[in-house]
Amino acid sequence: MHSTSVYAVKTLPRKEYFASGHRACPGCGEALAVRLVQKVLGRNVVVAAATGCMEIVSSPFPQTSWEVPWIHVAFENAAAVAGGVEKGLEVLKRKGKIKEQKISVVAMAGDGGTADIGLQALSGAMERGHDMLFVCYDNEAYMNTGVQRSSSTPFGALTTTSPVGTQQKGQLTHKKNMAEIAVAHGIPYVATACPSYPLDLAAKVQKGMDADGPAYIHILSVCPSGWGISGDATIKLGRLAVQSGAFPLYEVENGKYKITVDVEELLPLEYYFKPQRRFRHLSKEMTGQIEENVRQKWQELKKRSEGD
Amino acid sequence: MLPANNNIKDMRVKMITLWINDKQYQAAEGQSVLQVALDNGIEIPHLCYHESLSSQGSCRLCLVEVTKGSKTIMTTSCTYPAMEGIKVQTDTLEIKKARRLVMELLLPLAPDAPKIKALASELGVTEPRLGPEPENDNCIKCGLCVRACDELVGAHAITFAGRGVARTVEPPYDEEAENCIGCGTCVQVCPTECIVMEDQGMERRIDKWKRTLKLKACKNCGRPFITFAEIDFMQTKAKNPPPEEWFDYCPDCR
Repeated sequence: MHSTSVYAVKTLPRKEYFASGHRACPGCGEALAVRLVQKVLGRNVVVAAATGCMEIVSSPFPQTSWEVPWIHVAFENAAAVAGGVEKGLEVLKRKGKIKEQKISVVAMAGDGGTADIGLQALSGAMERGHDMLFVCYDNEAYMNTGVQRSSSTPFGALTTTSPVGTQQKGQLTHKKNMAEIAVAHGIPYVATACPSYPLDLAAKVQKGMDADGPAYIHILSVCPSGWGISGDATIKLGRLAVQSGAFPLYEVENGKYKITVDVEELLPLEYYFKPQRRFRHLSKEMTGQIEENVRQKWQELKKRSEGD
Repeated sequence: MLPANNNIKDMRVKMITLWINDKQYQAAEGQSVLQVALDNGIEIPHLCYHESLSSQGSCRLCLVEVTKGSKTIMTTSCTYPAMEGIKVQTDTLEIKKARRLVMELLLPLAPDAPKIKALASELGVTEPRLGPEPENDNCIKCGLCVRACDELVGAHAITFAGRGVARTVEPPYDEEAENCIGCGTCVQVCPTECIVMEDQGMERRIDKWKRTLKLKACKNCGRPFITFAEIDFMQTKAKNPPPEEWFDYCPDCR
């Protein structure tokens, strides 16, 4: 369900669990994603959030935006803490200290807290098979500290630690495919999502929550400040990322691939790159090379989703 | 039918006190018992309730025991308004038994729906009471699609028809649903996923409503993105309708 209808989105829950008044930049895609995820998760949930943009903007002492139990943990151990919480709740239920009920445990981190610093803890949690959901909000760099490159930064992107000059033209390496790494752990549910497709995102969070075992959702959160776009272009950029194939939306249920937002013909990658300041230095040839790479990956994904 | 009530945060609303499972709770006047319970984290299974829609009480899963004065009755919590001083029990043995019976009767209607199966196993139902329906379309007649079409969209494209066992959800006169705009709200709200919407080339099909709609292509990228019927609907229903040219381009190209 990814139609542009304005009516179908009215079926999403009305209650807000992520309060307004937080200090995110105008047009923040991550705050939007958190709000949608929280709507679906509901109130019976414990959230462990790693350091990152969302922790900084949502919990300036003594205020908080979170209307659910929320723990801020260090950069590297969001998944480990969530695993501990899950086991702790299990013990409390067994001993009869709390009532038998479904409590979802969710770990949240940015791309740095997932792909770089938190990868070890995440891998461990997925391998041990905790019944938890890990949500990665990927804004493709360390935006909170002032746009430093992470392993999730796409090829050619300008950040303060992958500058553009005579020696180097932006990021030198390709984006780490976190979703594939999660799939390789053999966990029951892995998906990529984007708040530009709210119903698709909601359905995926619901599936991840219902999955029996660890689930991983990788959400592209457009960052106006870091990417150099205007604040009103967030939704559009998210849609362009999907429609140009730069960030395909798919899910992997027990090893079975399925493209949830199918694009019959990919848009030129230029449409996605042009509004962004971080790609402004790229020449036509370089964009062409990246486009070739993107299309090849899209074809591979298509083959996998049609394979079985 | 209890209308949808969402002005809980409105300070002018009168607050009332009621007991759920021997605990005291505050509620806004006009809320249903189910709404109060869900707001306070008390789980009551339900299929035909949606917070944005009026309550109909057709799935019968949200049964609770309500004591008002000296009288105790078993009723659906989604249609019972929260009242001053009532005592509600949500988890007694009788209620569990009644819910299991309801589930055993619902299960043969939609034996393949994942959400129904999950809820059945949660309630401890393994075997349906009756054999599967001969002509099974997975519809449990909860009426969410009908209410969503009436209240959220306002298109009034589908309706209930027939009585008793012959009751079905269908387009008027079982012909093509001419009011259907192909917005997909019914698809989204259905708990059994029995309504299927498909885009094939420049056409959108919803077989359950016997409806085929033409899609409008974007002037720039040439890809279909909205049905003509939905554009007309928005132009006629909206207070400040967007100009005609607004729909020339898809959201990606605007």
